[in-house]
Amino acid sequence: MYENIIMRRISLFLFILMSTVMVLAQERVITGVVLDGEFKGEPLIGANVTVGQGQATKGVITDLDGKFKLSVPANTQKVVVSYMGYKSYTLKLKQGVDNYKVTLYYADKSLDEFVVTGYQQIDRRKLTAAVSTVEISDETVGAVKNIDQALAGQVAGLSSVAASGAPGAPMKIRIRGTSSINGVQEPLWVLDGIPMEGNEIPAIDNLNDIDDIYQTSIAGLNPSDIENITVLKDAAATAIYGARAANGVIVITTKKGKAGRPVVNFSAKLTYNPRASIDRLNLLNADEKVNLELDLLQSSYDYRQHKGGVANILDDLGEFDAFKAGGWDALTPEAQQRIDRLRTINTDWNDILFRDVLNQEYNVSLSGGSDKAHYYTSVGYYTEQGTVKGVENNRCNITLKTDYKLNSLLTVGASVFANQRKQESYMTDAAGFTNPVYYSRMANPYFEPYDQEGNYVYDTNVQGRESEVPPFNIFEERNNTSKERTDRSVMAIFDAELKFNDHLKLTSQYGLQHDNYTMTRYAGHDSYAMRKMKEYATFMIDGERKSIFPDGGMNKQTEAHTDQWTWKAMLEWNNRFNEIHDVELMGGTEVRHVETEIVTSTAYGYDNRTLTTQPVLFPTESIGQRYPLYQEGHTENAYVSWFATGSYTLLHRYTLGASVRFDGSDVFGVAKKYRYLPLYSVSGLWRGKEEKFLQNVKWLDELSLRASYGLQGNIDKNTSPYLIGTFDKTSVLPGYIETIISAENAPNPNLKWEKTKNVNAGLNLALLNNRIRLNVDYYYRRSVDLISSRQLPLESGFASTTVNWASMENSGWEIALNTRNVAVRNFTWTTNLNLGFNANKILNETVAENSTYPSREGRPVGAIFAYKTAGLDSEGYPLFLANDGTKQTAAEFFKLNRFGASTLSAEEQRNLYTYMGTTEPKCSGGFINTFEWGDWQLNVNFMFNLGMKVRVQPSYSPTYYDRGLNTNHDILNRWTPANVNSTLPGLMVNTAARASEYTHFSEYNTYSMLDLWVRSLNYCRLQSLRLGYRIPKRVLEPLGITSASLSLEGRNLFVMASDYDNYLDPETMGNPYAQPITQSFIFGLNVNF
Amino acid sequence: MIKIKTFACIILAALMCSACDDFLDITPTGKVIAKTGDEYRALLTYEYKYFVKDRYMTVVRTDEVVMDKTKSSSTDLDAYLDLWRWIDDAPSPTTTYFSWRTYFHSIYIANYIIEHQDEITEATAAEVSQLVGEAYMLRAYCHFLLVNLYAAPYTHCSPATTRGVPMQLKADVNAVPGSSSVEAVYQQVLRDLDEADKYLNVDVWEEGKNYRFCGASVALLRARTYLYMGRWADAFDAAQAVIANHGELEDMNSSDVLPNSYKSVENLVALERFSSNLYTVINMPSPDFVKLYRSGDQRRTKYFKRVTSSSYSLQKGGNDEFSSSFRTAEAYLTAAEALARQGEKEQAVEYLKPLMQKRLNSSAYQTTLDLIADMTEDGLVQEIMDERAREFAFEGHRWYDLRRTTQPALVRNYDGQAYTLQPAQYTMRFPSSAVSANPEIERWEN
Repeated sequence: MYENIIMRRISLFLFILMSTVMVLAQERVITGVVLDGEFKGEPLIGANVTVGQGQATKGVITDLDGKFKLSVPANTQKVVVSYMGYKSYTLKLKQGVDNYKVTLYYADKSLDEFVVTGYQQIDRRKLTAAVSTVEISDETVGAVKNIDQALAGQVAGLSSVAASGAPGAPMKIRIRGTSSINGVQEPLWVLDGIPMEGNEIPAIDNLNDIDDIYQTSIAGLNPSDIENITVLKDAAATAIYGARAANGVIVITTKKGKAGRPVVNFSAKLTYNPRASIDRLNLLNADEKVNLELDLLQSSYDYRQHKGGVANILDDLGEFDAFKAGGWDALTPEAQQRIDRLRTINTDWNDILFRDVLNQEYNVSLSGGSDKAHYYTSVGYYTEQGTVKGVENNRCNITLKTDYKLNSLLTVGASVFANQRKQESYMTDAAGFTNPVYYSRMANPYFEPYDQEGNYVYDTNVQGRESEVPPFNIFEERNNTSKERTDRSVMAIFDAELKFNDHLKLTSQYGLQHDNYTMTRYAGHDSYAMRKMKEYATFMIDGERKSIFPDGGMNKQTEAHTDQWTWKAMLEWNNRFNEIHDVELMGGTEVRHVETEIVTSTAYGYDNRTLTTQPVLFPTESIGQRYPLYQEGHTENAYVSWFATGSYTLLHRYTLGASVRFDGSDVFGVAKKYRYLPLYSVSGLWRGKEEKFLQNVKWLDELSLRASYGLQGNIDKNTSPYLIGTFDKTSVLPGYIETIISAENAPNPNLKWEKTKNVNAGLNLALLNNRIRLNVDYYYRRSVDLISSRQLPLESGFASTTVNWASMENSGWEIALNTRNVAVRNFTWTTNLNLGFNANKILNETVAENSTYPSREGRPVGAIFAYKTAGLDSEGYPLFLANDGTKQTAAEFFKLNRFGASTLSAEEQRNLYTYMGTTEPKCSGGFINTFEWGDWQLNVNFMFNLGMKVRVQPSYSPTYYDRGLNTNHDILNRWTPANVNSTLPGLMVNTAARASEYTHFSEYNTYSMLDLWVRSLNYCRLQSLRLGYRIPKRVLEPLGITSASLSLEGRNLFVMASDYDNYLDPETMGNPYAQPITQSFIFGLNVNF
Repeated sequence: MIKIKTFACIILAALMCSACDDFLDITPTGKVIAKTGDEYRALLTYEYKYFVKDRYMTVVRTDEVVMDKTKSSSTDLDAYLDLWRWIDDAPSPTTTYFSWRTYFHSIYIANYIIEHQDEITEATAAEVSQLVGEAYMLRAYCHFLLVNLYAAPYTHCSPATTRGVPMQLKADVNAVPGSSSVEAVYQQVLRDLDEADKYLNVDVWEEGKNYRFCGASVALLRARTYLYMGRWADAFDAAQAVIANHGELEDMNSSDVLPNSYKSVENLVALERFSSNLYTVINMPSPDFVKLYRSGDQRRTKYFKRVTSSSYSLQKGGNDEFSSSFRTAEAYLTAAEALARQGEKEQAVEYLKPLMQKRLNSSAYQTTLDLIADMTEDGLVQEIMDERAREFAFEGHRWYDLRRTTQPALVRNYDGQAYTLQPAQYTMRFPSSAVSANPEIERWEN
């Protein structure tokens, strides 16, 4: 590349030389000056002024005053003025005028005048839609590891919540609240025009599913390759994407080379994450836990009474009954001594299960180009260790991007994004307690995992079962199990643009995405996971009880790959008539095909040292079928779409726009006519500043009003009007293999498209020489026939089905205020405040007749209902506040029968609930301050969510509190005969008098529905505090460095929140299995050569 | 030039449109909407394969099984201890419950087949008819099992006014049923059996497919239904009809095949089985129960294996071979009981004899006949009940026999504590998951 450029420079030089010596007939001499638009019209030195093409190119460069003089053939029409990093300007020569003045502007700045929607580049001056663009750089978003993290607190109306602090864990992103309830709620991610497959975050059904490691395809992108991200919010912007855009669209534009000499950029980041302190959890210490156990053994609460360290000692010495009868004094000195010893042990689980980590990230990129071609190449490596030992994540990226202007008509480009990611984690059991985060909370403080010789001691209390269980030790488990996932992904995009003339162009894009991953799950012979598996696979074989699995471990390999291709072609035409009518039209088609294949194979008797396995001898076919050694799955989907957009602008200030899209897909078992639903939008823009009466208002830089209306839609592909089954093979009786069809999904013949009507109105205002920029958007979305899963009466034969259950409205305000508060010679202070207010209301809801949970009609979709309590009764049972104001016991409130079931109708039960609030924030946003002083830069970035309610898990169950586990201090404050003023219910015992209540609290979810467990949630997080320093040029120049900067950043330094006692972080409050979100300190270095 | 290119584009786009429908016609791998006879059969086979095993789980609640803190495996204790010691109010969360939804999934598929019978392609009329007949039988059997698990015994309540179970007679996922009376459920079972009779054309399926319902099984379920209703004459007639066509019994004196094997000559329907962990883990026959067998009874040595002086293991289960829902021996015992209860002692004995001949060795057969000859009418009824216990040990008849008759207050001892079965506990309460999904089923006003 270097050579190329040097060659080109030499040839240019030669041309200049020649142009001065060659004298040709019929020439005309033009002169002029080139000015720098970025620096108050200072002359631009060294700009190229050229004429002609190819071999015939000739030109000059501007002198110290920015002046040039060039003789050109008399018939020359155009001269091109260019300067590296600036947008080239084509100068049209006029007859009789030989002196010209040209002003050049930064190429970047002029790009900013366009908004990339993935289909088109729209001139901001014609933009009728609600979109926000975030420039991605360390200065703007801080040191983020994945691009989804970059958006938190950056865009008004976009909320981004972390489900877990695990390395590589995806963020839950919602644009303008929740629109669809069922299935996909993630926005659509688009990379350089091609929608990406594989970004759905699976719903967490069980809280401990948080350990399932998965990777979204956006996680494979390197944030340092990204130029900017555009968030499309309203229908005018998203309608062109069709049904997939119902949750908004996020368009990623990657960096590309700029004309000029090659630029090498190197950046490195070192991150230090200290382990999270678990002090906030308020867990009992050894002394408190021992006292609790002693107290419980003296009480009548007998659930799992042989669990816990104290009971273990008493059972061991045979003094259990003696203690129950006579208390502490009835114990032998040995028992007393051993119990007292427990009090002195305080195993610091936080310390031995978690660690401080140092993580690294490196990126190198090389970019550059000429008028004819641009290139961008980068290599990145990043590795992150989790604060939970044994958890690791790394990523390697290679990105290649080039584009070529082949001739005046045709431009082609090709880019390849390739990456490999590797994630390591622990295996978790279905019961969840082998999760180290969970274990650190549940393990008893007096339990020591190793004995004096360093052998594993097995924890027999944590299993949540009373009977004998396979031995478990967290360290043994960690050493002998592993889960590893390697993702390899390649995304290639080819695009071509055929520009017939200034008015008409044909563009086409072909995108290929290939993702594959290998997941290896290993459980060694000496692990709880394997022991348990063996125990569950114990059968009577030849009159003897034995496990069907041979000695050794298990190795389960999953191989999956997804192939997607998208092809789209668009014809764009634009023209201007009579200088005042601008028309732009675009039409196109898009075809997409996605194929996924997954293969899982399992080996038993596995030895990870010798890599040998042993065959499993299944005693019968039906047992064999329960442990499949090989499984394969395959899905295929195809989509065809047509779309068109158009806009008409009058007098450069009145714009009308419209777009429409038809989506077709291969919905199985649906009549062809239902395959398509047209989605459309219409929109308008008024740019007031262009009006004559405002043109002279000096303090006003921009005043625009936007409005749009559109229809978005969604259909659930998993529900069919027909009974759809899945083939399988089995044997009912030995030796006779048959085909079976499993039909476990309820059909719904009435299912319709979910439709959302969308209204958006926006205001763009810029004042005082752009020092204050305000964007305000109001939106109103009305969704009808919303699709959701509904619990069915089990007598239907199915557990749930998908129905059109409701209509809902979302309305809200989004405010983005950018101000340049101080801008003096050396110092600037800018503030970016973005706020989103979303109000959500269910307009009507068909509550299933069988539902005992109230309708949300008139309430937000995230409504939380709870039973109002009125303290406790004389036995520590909760009292309920009835509608008539009286205090009632559960038996009276629910009219329980002797089995603990309510005899009220479903409707009457619904009316027992009280509305508490909503899980969705009333206000969310970000507050970003940037201070620049000379070469120093300080960013302070807050994000906040306000006005939510959250239902937390009860601290303990009154009927099933397992004394083998540790818990938080709430249990000490529970009601007891000695503590009758408590607000927390006592532990319950099954007595004849209150049997129905006892059964009810045990088996129904009433207890967790008490208002005691609903909390207010407001929080504000200092997301990033970053200090940057640009090393001055005079230091760098001798080293041959163009620019360099250093930075120090603290992320997640603190969070201010209401009421999150007993939890680590307000964001992960509800889930005790989630790895905590830790603080991090990042040192960054960025160098350009 | 430009025009030609544009034109070419338009042509290309037009071509694409027509190709689209083909492009979009993708049949998902492995997915199917049943159309052919084979596919409808496969839907039904799924229900057979995963048919509820509750009848076998009731064994845990009877006097057939013991559990022991030291000898029972931990998985057993987790799953069955509270079921075994009848802790029905808030049992330990690890306890295995009786099914609910699975019954109704079978009923849904049965209804689906009945409703779609005219749309089944690629099947002969006889095949379709057989499918529909099996569907009626499936629906009848599921409702029958449900009402005998979750509602008061017909013989111990006033059936017309006592809450039974919900019934589903349509394949409608949106229906929200309440419970029907015990009487209504029994009447529906009988009606479905009549329908099944009309459609079924396979009398007994060949070995390997004989898990499927067949013509012969209809009469036997009818006999069982009448027996549980206490309609002795009707029970006798139905049982007699079975014996007339399928009188064969496995001779345990000469054959090595156990009568509850699907290979046995007396098998009619080999559907329900112990092939879950249940059988292999709950493997502790009660020594007191084994004492019910007299010496010379082949069943004592062939059903059970003595492990120590006071413990046994079970041999009539442990793999898929031992699948049995309907077999001929039941017809003999039902006929005998129905006659004995009507005071026809001599005739009753005539129906006991063929069975005893095949179960006892010749000397024991003679001594037992002498013993029976001296019995009173009540004594004979008791003898027949004991004979049912002996014959169907661990096959899931005992619980139903106890609850429809004397409802004895069985006693258990575990870990030094005694537990007694209350008469009310012979009826299981509805699973709380079902009640919370549909409170209507629990509401009953009468």
